[in-house]
Amino acid sequence: MSEEPKKKKTAAEEAEEVRQILGAVSTEVPALIKSLIGAVFSEEAGRNMGRAAAAFYKELKDSGMPDDVAVKMTENYVGVFTSLGDILKQVGKKGKGVIPTEEGKEIGTKIEKVVKEKIAEKLREKEEQE
Amino acid sequence: MGKTSSLRFILSIFGSGIALTKLLASLLLTWLTLGWKVRKARKAFEKQLIKQGMAKDDAKRIGAQYAALKDNIENAFKQSLRARK
Repeated sequence: MSEEPKKKKTAAEEAEEVRQILGAVSTEVPALIKSLIGAVFSEEAGRNMGRAAAAFYKELKDSGMPDDVAVKMTENYVGVFTSLGDILKQVGKKGKGVIPTEEGKEIGTKIEKVVKEKIAEKLREKEEQE
Repeated sequence: MGKTSSLRFILSIFGSGIALTKLLASLLLTWLTLGWKVRKARKAFEKQLIKQGMAKDDAKRIGAQYAALKDNIENAFKQSLRARK
């Protein structure tokens, strides 16, 4: 029961691997970004968020609140969503993140690991199909 | 065998270039159409508010907050790119 020595990859094999990885990434990443944007910035998403804010406003008005107070409270309600943008800003700032640096690195490592596993899975599926 | 290997190498590089171009083009198109999508979403958002009896000006002011989310996300992305440099 002897182990076969690891075969050194040729430049052509490595280039082929890079091509497959880029092929998988060029398909998956835009689709992921489009779905993320569509979840927040599509017409339907706007309509749904508008319905939620409108329902909130209507409830306030029905309970007898003055119009300017109801509008202000609805503005604050919608502001909860935009504060998510502020959180993202904080995460983007180096060393001043909402998530501490060490934890942030750990999360980054985990994300990297998951992405690599997904890419390897896609490459295996492609090889099986071929 | 050497020629086949070289040909495979060149084809792989060419394929990588195409995949990379496809990725960049897709991202560029997404970025260019983002503004238009946000405008449509904001209009739909304001329409719902006006339907429930809110004044048009108030609905527009609240709708501006929704659009500001897009600016916040863009700024956060730009800051993270600057932080990497």
